[in-house]
Amino acid sequence: MAAVGSTGVGAVEPLVLVTHDGRTAAHARCTPDRAADVVAAAADDPDGIADGADAVVEHEPGRPRLPALDLSGLDAGDRRVLGACGWRRPTEPADHEAAGGFAEHEATAVRDAAADLRGRGWGDWCRDRPLGGTWDAARAADGDPCVVVNGHGNPADALLLASAPFEVLEGAQAAARAVGGDRVVVYASSDDARAVEAVREAAERYPDPAASVDVVAGPPEYRAAEPTMALEAIEGNHRLEARLRPPGPEKEGLHGCPTLVHTPRTLAYLAVALREGGPADTRAVTVTGDVDAPATVELPESETLAAAVDAATVDGEFKAACVGGRFGGVTRSLDVAHAPEDLAEAGLGTEGVVQVLAEDRCIVEFVGKRAQFASETNCGRCVPCREGTTQLAERLRDVYDRNYDAAGIEELVRVMERSSICAFGEDAGRPARTAMAAFESEFEAHARGRCPAGRCMETTEGIAQ
Amino acid sequence: MSSERTDTADVPPLTEGIAPGTATDPDVSSDEPATVTVDGIEVSLDAGDTLLDAVEAVEPDESVPALCSYDRQEIGPRSECRTCMVETDAYGVVPACSFPVEDGMTVSTAAEAAAEARDVNLDLVLSDHNLRCTTCGKNGRCELQDAAIDQEVEEPRYGVLDDREEYEPIDDSSSFIQIDRNKCILCNRCVEACNDVQVEGVLRMEGSGQDTRIGFQNDAATMEESTCVSCGHCVTVCPTGSLVEKGIEDATTIPIPGFTQKNSVGKTYENSGETKGPMTPKKRPERPDADGESATADEGSSAGDDPGGVWSDDGGDWP
Ligand code: SF4
Ligand code: SF4
Ligand code: SF4
Ligand code: FES
Repeated sequence: MAAVGSTGVGAVEPLVLVTHDGRTAAHARCTPDRAADVVAAAADDPDGIADGADAVVEHEPGRPRLPALDLSGLDAGDRRVLGACGWRRPTEPADHEAAGGFAEHEATAVRDAAADLRGRGWGDWCRDRPLGGTWDAARAADGDPCVVVNGHGNPADALLLASAPFEVLEGAQAAARAVGGDRVVVYASSDDARAVEAVREAAERYPDPAASVDVVAGPPEYRAAEPTMALEAIEGNHRLEARLRPPGPEKEGLHGCPTLVHTPRTLAYLAVALREGGPADTRAVTVTGDVDAPATVELPESETLAAAVDAATVDGEFKAACVGGRFGGVTRSLDVAHAPEDLAEAGLGTEGVVQVLAEDRCIVEFVGKRAQFASETNCGRCVPCREGTTQLAERLRDVYDRNYDAAGIEELVRVMERSSICAFGEDAGRPARTAMAAFESEFEAHARGRCPAGRCMETTEGIAQ
Repeated sequence: MSSERTDTADVPPLTEGIAPGTATDPDVSSDEPATVTVDGIEVSLDAGDTLLDAVEAVEPDESVPALCSYDRQEIGPRSECRTCMVETDAYGVVPACSFPVEDGMTVSTAAEAAAEARDVNLDLVLSDHNLRCTTCGKNGRCELQDAAIDQEVEEPRYGVLDDREEYEPIDDSSSFIQIDRNKCILCNRCVEACNDVQVEGVLRMEGSGQDTRIGFQNDAATMEESTCVSCGHCVTVCPTGSLVEKGIEDATTIPIPGFTQKNSVGKTYENSGETKGPMTPKKRPERPDADGESATADEGSSAGDDPGGVWSDDGGDWP
């Protein structure tokens, strides 16, 4: 019996897996009583593990990663990067080693693997860009490079830190070696206590690390995930503000040293690429919002967003999704592959989070709240973001006053995207911009005093009087 | 630059503990001399120069306000106003004031995307500004006014800060300096003058979002209670009427009966009349651990009751 971390699919947990002779039976949503019964039964009769199970799968004995199970969210195929989650003991080096981990890779091999690997998530300094150029710049810069693992705020990153910390640390160690660095700092939100704890324990138990590892819990604010604000938080600034760029952290980063800032996802993909001799062409996607429970799944890049949403049960009728995190794009259609270029072409974000909005959601209200969130939580440094988000929220509110200035909002969002210092301001207008395109008639209906979802009636009636 | 690092041995001990609340920016000056082309004209630049130096050398037809740029002493670039955007072939639209020059760059000031960004951003600055020039001591010598005139702003598209409820009281408590935060454009010059040039450690940037403001490192509510030594440097660098010298706060106002600088805002913190003791700089008593473990931001967590369990963005009442 071993306690493993979460699989990332909350709806089936607590999950008890019983493995015997190349066969695994899954018992979903176990109460403590049921779990005890399952364990007792398995001890009695190892061949009868399938009795009463929710799913059974045959696989190679000693398989190092979670097999696909016929359970919603875990049936999407081979989890190459999330495979340790829910299968291996998170902080047990032996489990990671048995899965082929802790192998030493030549610095050149690591650099080759990184050359085409794209950074994942807005917390990654190389978001959607290959790591290679940034690494070269870090190697060429003065000072000892260091690696910051930015695990702040993304559910897949928090999952990896909590359930598969060795995958992440191995990628970080390889990256440090490849750029000649000797220091790794893992940074996560203080709200993700389990992630912080697990990665701290894993760092302590990491056999012969080439680079020292520190674990830092930062403030939970959304903006604290921005790569340069992460550096500010690690350095201990009492106020969180984005740093100017260029130059980026690869030249002048943590305490002035050249610094790679990557998310746990990026580094886990690097570790798997090194082990398997090539990158996994999958993406980790978290489905959240109006669903029974958030689920993090791993899907081929060519799969559509619809496949990701299938991993969870929508509460009600699907209406739209906000794709790409809090400041993602709003879309009606899930017929978009989640490779970054497909998402970008559809105007959506690549954060790896799909927030489902059910039929009773009002899109105008949704993007209005997003804009207000942006105006309240930005760092306050640059005008296009600080004042732009305020004006954006006000102009969206104006729609309720029968004043819908689509061209004005588009101009504002365009300038925020082009001239904000950091990704917070660059992305903050995206929900509004994309929603206006996809739900034009709803905006217009609001401007005539009607909320098609029936949610904003009081306000609009108030105005009509 | 504000908040030079304090963890290196060659920093004078005086700056230890100064907490300006601003990010530790990288060095944005170029490493090498360079030749760039601005609006078709070649410009030779020295090591350390930025694109703004190139733009200023050319004096383009387009107005490039560069409102928050100071570019003297150790102050700036803060690069917050974004009214200096220009288009480059290699990097797209960038802020000229803080972009290091690279040999062979081609820059256009007239490119539509850049012109639009400068225009919108200046209007955004004005949107948060108490535009009462007639009662302002900086009337006629205000950089914001100059920028608006150069940029030919007639009617700022987002209006101006005209809701009295939003006004911050004028801080008239110091015997030497008056602060009207309603005119502050958050250029950070005063903070850097106070911390990096005078090394007094009085002023800081505080808050976030719309609550971002100039405050005091000893947590004082008014200038009088701060540790200010009244050297006046912050006043010298302030581009607007936000920091003015007492005694000449009305120097350039246009006399209209009933309209004064103070009643334009309504509420004022007056001097308490008590004499202050010797004003030694009081450094911020504690800084978070260097490893950041105790680092907490100044606002609460945004986590809430989202049924999805991952986040909540309620952001207050809507609309
Ligand atoms: S974009 Fe927003 S969060 Fe980023 S630096 Fe500008 S004000 Fe700060
Ligand atoms: S006058 Fe006071 S606040 Fe201004 S720079 Fe001097 S010490 Fe700092
Ligand atoms: S008070 Fe003046 S110098 Fe200081 S930030 Fe505001 S506008 Fe700039
Ligand atoms: S002058 Fe360049 S951003 Fe303000």
